[in-house]
Amino acid sequence: MNGILNWILWLPIIGMLGVILTPKDQTKTIRLVTLVTTTATLLLSVLLYLNFDTTTADMQFVVKVPWIEQFHINYFLGIDGITMLMTFLNALLFFICTLSSWTIEKNVKAYFSLLLMLQSTVFGVFFALDFFLFYVYWEVMLLPMFFLIGIWGGENREYAAIKFFLYTFFGSIFMLVGIIALYYASGKGIDSFSILAHQGGKFTELTVSVFGKTFSFEHMFFWFMFLGFAIKVPVFPFHTWLPHAHVQAPTAVSVILAGVLLKMGTYGFLRIAFPIFPQAAVDSADIIAVLGLISVIYGAFCAMAQDDVKKLVAYSSVSHMGFVMLGLAAMTTQGMNGAVLQMFNHGTSTAMMFLLIGILYERSHHRWIVKPDGSKGYGGLSTKLPKYTTVFIIGMFASLGLPGLSGFISEALIFLGIYQRFTTITVIAVIGLLIGAAYLLWMFKRMFFGEVNPETEDYDDMNAREVFYMLPLCVAVIVFGIYPSPLLDVMKVSVGQLVDLLAKF
Amino acid sequence: MIDQLFGFLSYYVPEIISIILMTTLLVAEAAVKDDQAPRLKIHIFTQIVLGVVLMTLFMNLDEKPLHIFHNAVTIDPFSTLVKIIMTLGTMGAIFLSHSSKDIYPNLKSEFSLMAVGVLIGGMLLASANNMLTLYLGIETLSILSYVLSSLKRDDSTSTEAGMKYALYGGLSAGIALFGMSHLYGVFGSIQFVDMITRVQGLQGLNLAIVMISFVMFFVGIGYKISLFPFHMWTPDVYQGSPIPVTSFFAIVPKMAGLAALVRVSFVFFSEGSALSVSWIGLVLVIAAMTMTVGNVTAIGQTSVKRLLAFSSIGHVGMMILGVVVMNEAGVQAILFYGLVYLFMTLIAFYVTSHLSDMYGTDSYDVFRGLIYKHPVMAIIMASVLFSLAGMPPFSGFIAKFNIFSVVIQKKHYGIALVAAINSVIGLYYYMKLAKTMIFSKPQGDELVLGFSGLNQTVIILLFIPVLFLGVFWDSAMSLAGNASIFIK
Repeated sequence: MNGILNWILWLPIIGMLGVILTPKDQTKTIRLVTLVTTTATLLLSVLLYLNFDTTTADMQFVVKVPWIEQFHINYFLGIDGITMLMTFLNALLFFICTLSSWTIEKNVKAYFSLLLMLQSTVFGVFFALDFFLFYVYWEVMLLPMFFLIGIWGGENREYAAIKFFLYTFFGSIFMLVGIIALYYASGKGIDSFSILAHQGGKFTELTVSVFGKTFSFEHMFFWFMFLGFAIKVPVFPFHTWLPHAHVQAPTAVSVILAGVLLKMGTYGFLRIAFPIFPQAAVDSADIIAVLGLISVIYGAFCAMAQDDVKKLVAYSSVSHMGFVMLGLAAMTTQGMNGAVLQMFNHGTSTAMMFLLIGILYERSHHRWIVKPDGSKGYGGLSTKLPKYTTVFIIGMFASLGLPGLSGFISEALIFLGIYQRFTTITVIAVIGLLIGAAYLLWMFKRMFFGEVNPETEDYDDMNAREVFYMLPLCVAVIVFGIYPSPLLDVMKVSVGQLVDLLAKF
Repeated sequence: MIDQLFGFLSYYVPEIISIILMTTLLVAEAAVKDDQAPRLKIHIFTQIVLGVVLMTLFMNLDEKPLHIFHNAVTIDPFSTLVKIIMTLGTMGAIFLSHSSKDIYPNLKSEFSLMAVGVLIGGMLLASANNMLTLYLGIETLSILSYVLSSLKRDDSTSTEAGMKYALYGGLSAGIALFGMSHLYGVFGSIQFVDMITRVQGLQGLNLAIVMISFVMFFVGIGYKISLFPFHMWTPDVYQGSPIPVTSFFAIVPKMAGLAALVRVSFVFFSEGSALSVSWIGLVLVIAAMTMTVGNVTAIGQTSVKRLLAFSSIGHVGMMILGVVVMNEAGVQAILFYGLVYLFMTLIAFYVTSHLSDMYGTDSYDVFRGLIYKHPVMAIIMASVLFSLAGMPPFSGFIAKFNIFSVVIQKKHYGIALVAAINSVIGLYYYMKLAKTMIFSKPQGDELVLGFSGLNQTVIILLFIPVLFLGVFWDSAMSLAGNASIFIK
């Protein structure tokens, strides 16, 4: 089992080479190659889950090969409970996205090879335990995203692609400075690029001097890392790239963006910012909580104001990721568990929403709830599209946190965790849930109830392929809503270790 | 005595071969009967001889440092590696000149001739070990550069470029010489080996004079490698000159000037020397300004040549941060950066040249939709642009990483932040060009003539190190590391 992470990481690249070697006009073969690759990765990640030892917080399936001897950089992979969930989510969503991208007709070959490349780099971010390797994957991931948004996106795609790229790059360049500073601060020894070796608050005593002023090493570089990860999450006020990127991106890319890419930001807090700078993290918990709260409320209000349904869901992501930040800021067992669970659950529920919007867009070629001229974009969809409406209801209620569906459990855990620490913030954040219910239900009312819009008369209901790829997500949100133990069991030891560490500071 | 001299000459083989090549080219050009003949044989001959030069340089790479010709010249791995980079750059520019329309057929071998001349000047500069050799190197390099930039005689921008280059160059060389004469006055010697022993004992007024003289010298070098505020000539000269000349300018004189700056900094200002702090402060501020001015000005450019000119200013600003730290790791970072920058710059100029030959302009528009016509070329060019911006997995990232690394090791966090912001600005304008190539629709569907099989092969070959050094950079780093050990 030791090389399994290598297989999961490189299989998409092998698939990408397969796609590249296929002649351009054989679009069917290209799609099949991609589907086979993503299916194989999904099966491998299931295999990984079955072999995963839930009793230890240590890294499992470790691969460690020297890469650059001079700097002690290693090709160092491994997973713990948190990344186990993210691996499975990533494999699942890419499998679904391949199916949902079946209708892409423009430059099929380039599209699927970029999609596979993206999958590999996302795995890389989650597997990498070497800082250098992590950074390389973190950056390389931007390239396929840039092209996927920029070539297959909507009207304003170039602007969105550039904005997305620049924002993330801006954050990550500060992270790079932090990584190198850590390397030298730890004495450029044999483990100086290992993420794990830095963990545990080893830098509390150091100071740095910038432009003649002295700062605490720990605090300064915590904020450097914070910038890199907060832009990715995105936390208010760094969220402005997200709505553009989501609205312009093609459906599958939106799904990946909301489903796994945003989680990379919160994963960065869990793996890097918090364990390496625990003192600074504890000191900054208030600020993180407040920023998370603003994201929750502000994101929800912004979502309510949208006429474009995709933009609405994009802002709802800001709001939901705000809950994750709240859970992280709590630094309690329930809060942290809730945050990680919310990362997974938001991945499935928001993926459903984006996929459903994509399905509708393929029929209507617009996404307006209310068109700019004031007329209704949709209306009465529930009478014409029963299957679609059923799936939409599941997705929407999972998203707004109805008890019995997955979103509820994670949000409840987060509130349980944070109430012990930030009572006022908890009370205000609950309002965010309320607004969330309001905008989703209002959107639902305007699109699915009321008079049937004549434009929607000839829409077809979901076909077999669409039902097939929505099914696993429906099952996930329902099953994990009732019985979240399979997820909680996997992550609780790893999360517990982090909570214990933070409790010491 | 004579034996000793001949013994020295064996270390000087690359330079001697280059000089023979230069004179041979002079004769060969006179022997061409047809004015418009393609001069293919001369071109092949030049490349072969430069290949031999490269081989001899590689053989010299393991030599221990050696002062020859009465301490006038140093042969050490550092200068040899710089010479290798410059020779590769010359070969690249000459190859481009052969297919470029910017260089008229009757001037093609003249271009090779003068490029080799500049290369000789650069070699002299890279291994200069006294002030006179250094000045000789600068002048040899410069005078031929002035001619090169106005090579397109019937084009007013090209003659303007030559004129500007010559005026600025003459002035700055004069200032540098003025500074050097004061140094001679204070030290009583022009030999680095003598001066270095006397720099420790300087006091009072002499110290001030020496510092001012070195600042004057800095003007001369700063002009050659276009540091702020001596960079004003760069965009006009880059834009006016024919593209092969521009690509040549972006590599050879810059590397030579950097080598001289590194050597002078290490000889006179290594840590513990009386003037070290002032010199480091000066270079630090100049580096920050150079990067920022280069990158910020690049944003608004509409001509790709000008864009590359400003971006090269930004890159030099980044590179000289390796001087600031005053240790071997810094020199290693500069050498690695130079090596990577060579390949990236050549590819960027190759692609620009072929497109501008086709459409007669070098605006962004000629890049529109390149991916639909020449997917491989567009992907390589886009990768090179991302590499220039410092994105992994390309080698430009490793180069940037090394510079960041040495700067942060010395705890210069402030300048690291400036460099970080600059690389974001850099990404923006590189991305704008990449976007034009890949997201826009092409204007017509006719193929670009310049991308012949041979030219595409060469571009792909040049791209291999850009990619390879981004992932497996261990060996190149140790090569640069070995070259930097003996710098003191």
